[in-house]
Amino acid sequence: MENPAMIRAEGVEAMEFPELSEKYGVSGVPQTTINDGDGTVVGAVPEQNLLAEIMRASKK
Amino acid sequence: MPEKLLNDQIVGQIREAFVDLKEPVAILFFGSKENWEYCDDSRLLLEELVEIDERLSLTVYDIGSDIEVVKLYQIDKTPGIVIAALDGNQIIDFGIRYSGIPSGHEFSTLIQDILLVSGRDSGLTPQTRDFLKNLQKPLHLQVFVTPT
Repeated sequence: MENPAMIRAEGVEAMEFPELSEKYGVSGVPQTTINDGDGTVVGAVPEQNLLAEIMRASKK
Repeated sequence: MPEKLLNDQIVGQIREAFVDLKEPVAILFFGSKENWEYCDDSRLLLEELVEIDERLSLTVYDIGSDIEVVKLYQIDKTPGIVIAALDGNQIIDFGIRYSGIPSGHEFSTLIQDILLVSGRDSGLTPQTRDFLKNLQKPLHLQVFVTPT
Protein backbone atom coordinates (compact mmCIF):
# COMPACT_ATOMS: atom_id res chain seq x y z
CA MET A 1 0.00 0.00 0.00
CA GLU A 2 2.91 2.35 0.75
CA ASN A 3 4.75 1.44 -2.43
CA PRO A 4 2.54 -0.69 -4.72
CA ALA A 5 5.06 -0.70 -7.57
CA MET A 6 7.62 -2.45 -5.38
CA ILE A 7 5.67 -4.44 -2.80
CA ARG A 8 3.51 -7.53 -3.09
CA ALA A 9 1.98 -8.79 0.17
CA GLU A 10 0.32 -12.15 -0.12
CA GLY A 11 -1.58 -14.24 2.38
CA VAL A 12 -1.14 -17.92 1.55
CA GLU A 13 -3.35 -20.68 2.89
CA ALA A 14 -0.60 -23.07 3.98
CA MET A 15 -2.55 -26.32 3.67
CA GLU A 16 -3.82 -25.57 0.17
CA PHE A 17 -0.27 -24.97 -1.07
CA PRO A 18 1.72 -27.71 0.70
CA GLU A 19 4.65 -27.63 -1.74
CA LEU A 20 5.24 -23.95 -1.05
CA SER A 21 4.83 -24.44 2.72
CA GLU A 22 7.34 -27.27 2.59
CA LYS A 23 9.78 -25.24 0.50
CA TYR A 24 9.88 -22.51 3.15
CA GLY A 25 9.71 -24.91 6.09
CA VAL A 26 6.43 -23.62 7.48
CA SER A 27 5.86 -25.36 10.83
CA GLY A 28 3.68 -22.82 12.59
CA VAL A 29 1.43 -19.98 11.48
CA PRO A 30 1.55 -17.17 10.81
CA GLN A 31 4.92 -17.40 9.13
CA THR A 32 6.14 -14.58 6.94
CA THR A 33 8.56 -15.42 4.16
CA ILE A 34 10.43 -12.45 2.72
CA ASN A 35 11.65 -12.36 -0.89
CA ASP A 36 11.27 -16.10 -1.52
CA GLY A 37 13.27 -17.15 1.52
CA ASP A 38 15.79 -14.34 2.11
CA GLY A 39 14.12 -13.74 5.43
CA THR A 40 11.60 -15.44 7.72
CA VAL A 41 9.50 -14.32 10.64
CA VAL A 42 7.57 -16.88 12.68
CA GLY A 43 4.54 -15.74 14.62
CA ALA A 44 2.61 -12.51 14.77
CA VAL A 45 5.44 -10.21 15.83
CA PRO A 46 5.35 -6.46 16.52
CA GLU A 47 5.70 -4.23 13.45
CA GLN A 48 9.23 -3.11 14.34
CA ASN A 49 10.47 -6.71 14.52
CA LEU A 50 9.00 -7.48 11.12
CA LEU A 51 10.54 -4.30 9.71
CA ALA A 52 13.95 -5.26 11.13
CA GLU A 53 13.81 -8.65 9.38
CA ILE A 54 12.62 -7.06 6.11
CA MET A 55 15.54 -4.61 6.30
CA ARG A 56 17.97 -7.48 6.92
CA ALA A 57 16.53 -9.60 4.07
CA SER A 58 16.44 -6.67 1.65
CA LYS A 59 20.22 -6.31 1.90
CA LYS A 60 20.73 -9.77 0.40
CA MET B 1 -32.77 -21.53 -3.58
CA PRO B 2 -29.32 -22.99 -3.04
CA GLU B 3 -28.02 -22.74 0.49
CA LYS B 4 -25.94 -19.65 1.24
CA LEU B 5 -22.40 -19.89 2.57
CA LEU B 6 -22.90 -16.83 4.77
CA ASN B 7 -25.87 -17.15 7.12
CA ASP B 8 -27.95 -14.19 8.37
CA GLN B 9 -25.99 -13.94 11.60
CA ILE B 10 -22.63 -13.69 9.81
CA VAL B 11 -24.02 -11.21 7.28
CA GLY B 12 -25.18 -9.10 10.25
CA GLN B 13 -21.68 -9.16 11.74
CA ILE B 14 -20.15 -8.23 8.39
CA ARG B 15 -22.59 -5.32 8.04
CA GLU B 16 -21.47 -4.10 11.48
CA ALA B 17 -17.82 -4.26 10.43
CA PHE B 18 -18.61 -2.54 7.11
CA VAL B 19 -19.91 0.52 8.96
CA ASP B 20 -16.23 1.54 8.81
CA LEU B 21 -16.02 1.16 5.01
CA LYS B 22 -14.93 4.36 3.29
CA GLU B 23 -13.93 4.27 -0.38
CA PRO B 24 -14.86 1.62 -2.98
CA VAL B 25 -12.94 -1.66 -3.14
CA ALA B 26 -12.49 -3.87 -6.20
CA ILE B 27 -11.99 -7.58 -5.61
CA LEU B 28 -10.46 -9.56 -8.45
CA PHE B 29 -10.87 -13.30 -8.30
CA PHE B 30 -8.75 -15.77 -10.26
CA GLY B 31 -9.92 -19.34 -10.55
CA SER B 32 -8.95 -22.35 -12.61
CA LYS B 33 -10.71 -25.36 -14.03
CA GLU B 34 -8.17 -27.71 -12.45
CA ASN B 35 -9.10 -27.08 -8.84
CA TRP B 36 -12.66 -25.94 -9.48
CA GLU B 37 -13.93 -27.26 -6.16
CA TYR B 38 -11.73 -24.89 -4.11
CA CYS B 39 -12.28 -22.11 -6.62
CA ASP B 40 -16.07 -22.40 -6.73
CA ASP B 41 -16.35 -22.15 -2.95
CA SER B 42 -14.13 -19.07 -2.89
CA ARG B 43 -15.97 -17.42 -5.75
CA LEU B 44 -19.38 -18.07 -4.17
CA LEU B 45 -18.13 -16.69 -0.86
CA LEU B 46 -16.89 -13.51 -2.55
CA GLU B 47 -20.10 -13.14 -4.55
CA GLU B 48 -22.14 -13.27 -1.34
CA LEU B 49 -19.71 -10.86 0.33
CA VAL B 50 -19.84 -8.13 -2.34
CA GLU B 51 -23.66 -8.28 -2.30
CA ILE B 52 -23.57 -6.95 1.26
CA ASP B 53 -22.27 -3.48 0.39
CA GLU B 54 -22.46 -1.53 -2.85
CA ARG B 55 -18.96 -0.12 -2.35
CA LEU B 56 -17.59 -3.60 -3.05
CA SER B 57 -17.34 -5.10 -6.50
CA LEU B 58 -16.11 -8.41 -7.86
CA THR B 59 -14.61 -9.43 -11.19
CA VAL B 60 -13.97 -13.09 -11.93
CA TYR B 61 -11.08 -14.26 -14.12
CA ASP B 62 -9.79 -17.62 -15.30
CA ILE B 63 -6.05 -18.17 -14.84
CA GLY B 64 -5.98 -20.28 -17.99
CA SER B 65 -7.63 -17.85 -20.41
CA ASP B 66 -7.32 -14.31 -18.99
CA ILE B 67 -3.58 -14.26 -19.67
CA GLU B 68 -3.14 -10.47 -19.83
CA VAL B 69 -4.85 -9.81 -16.49
CA VAL B 70 -3.04 -12.73 -14.86
CA LYS B 71 0.27 -11.24 -16.01
CA LEU B 72 -0.66 -7.72 -14.94
CA TYR B 73 -1.50 -8.82 -11.39
CA GLN B 74 1.26 -11.47 -11.22
CA ILE B 75 -1.12 -14.27 -10.27
CA ASP B 76 0.50 -17.69 -9.90
CA LYS B 77 -1.98 -19.55 -7.67
CA THR B 78 -5.68 -20.38 -7.60
CA PRO B 79 -7.90 -19.52 -5.96
CA GLY B 80 -6.19 -16.12 -6.09
CA ILE B 81 -7.70 -12.91 -4.77
CA VAL B 82 -6.58 -9.31 -5.34
CA ILE B 83 -7.98 -6.69 -2.96
CA ALA B 84 -7.61 -3.36 -4.73
CA ALA B 85 -8.89 0.20 -4.53
CA LEU B 86 -11.48 1.43 -6.99
CA ASP B 87 -11.29 5.08 -7.98
CA GLY B 88 -14.05 5.85 -10.45
CA ASN B 89 -13.55 3.15 -13.06
CA GLN B 90 -9.88 2.75 -12.31
CA ILE B 91 -8.52 -0.15 -10.29
CA ILE B 92 -5.57 0.83 -8.11
CA ASP B 93 -3.52 -2.21 -7.13
CA PHE B 94 -1.87 -1.93 -3.72
CA GLY B 95 -0.13 -5.30 -4.12
CA ILE B 96 -2.45 -7.05 -1.66
CA ARG B 97 -3.21 -10.71 -2.42
CA TYR B 98 -4.74 -13.75 -0.81
CA SER B 99 -4.15 -17.25 -2.17
CA GLY B 100 -6.51 -20.02 -1.07
CA ILE B 101 -10.06 -20.22 0.28
CA PRO B 102 -10.56 -17.32 2.68
CA SER B 103 -12.49 -19.38 5.22
CA GLY B 104 -12.50 -19.67 9.01
CA HIS B 105 -10.00 -17.36 10.64
CA GLU B 106 -8.90 -16.07 7.24
CA PHE B 107 -12.36 -14.79 6.47
CA SER B 108 -11.87 -12.10 9.16
CA THR B 109 -8.47 -11.35 7.64
CA LEU B 110 -10.19 -10.77 4.30
CA ILE B 111 -12.70 -8.41 5.94
CA GLN B 112 -9.80 -6.55 7.61
CA ASP B 113 -7.98 -6.31 4.26
CA ILE B 114 -11.11 -4.87 2.64
CA LEU B 115 -11.47 -2.28 5.42
CA LEU B 116 -7.78 -1.34 5.15
CA VAL B 117 -7.94 -0.88 1.37
CA SER B 118 -11.22 0.99 1.71
CA GLY B 119 -9.58 3.43 4.15
CA ARG B 120 -6.61 3.87 1.77
CA ASP B 121 -4.26 3.81 4.75
CA SER B 122 -1.86 1.09 5.87
CA GLY B 123 -1.80 2.22 9.50
CA LEU B 124 1.95 1.62 9.62
CA THR B 125 4.40 3.69 11.67
CA PRO B 126 6.24 6.63 10.03
CA GLN B 127 9.50 4.66 10.27
CA THR B 128 8.09 1.68 8.34
CA ARG B 129 6.43 3.95 5.76
CA ASP B 130 9.73 5.75 5.17
CA PHE B 131 11.62 2.53 4.63
CA LEU B 132 9.01 1.06 2.28
CA LYS B 133 8.73 4.23 0.18
CA ASN B 134 12.48 4.18 -0.45
CA LEU B 135 12.82 0.51 -1.39
CA GLN B 136 15.40 -0.01 -4.12
CA LYS B 137 14.26 -3.46 -5.14
CA PRO B 138 10.95 -5.35 -5.11
CA LEU B 139 9.73 -6.77 -1.82
CA HIS B 140 7.62 -9.92 -1.75
CA LEU B 141 6.01 -10.88 1.52
CA GLN B 142 4.20 -14.19 1.88
CA VAL B 143 2.31 -14.72 5.10
CA PHE B 144 1.46 -18.39 5.55
CA VAL B 145 -1.76 -18.93 7.47
CA THR B 146 -4.31 -21.64 8.23
CA PRO B 147 -8.06 -21.31 8.68
CA THR B 148 -7.99 -22.66 12.25
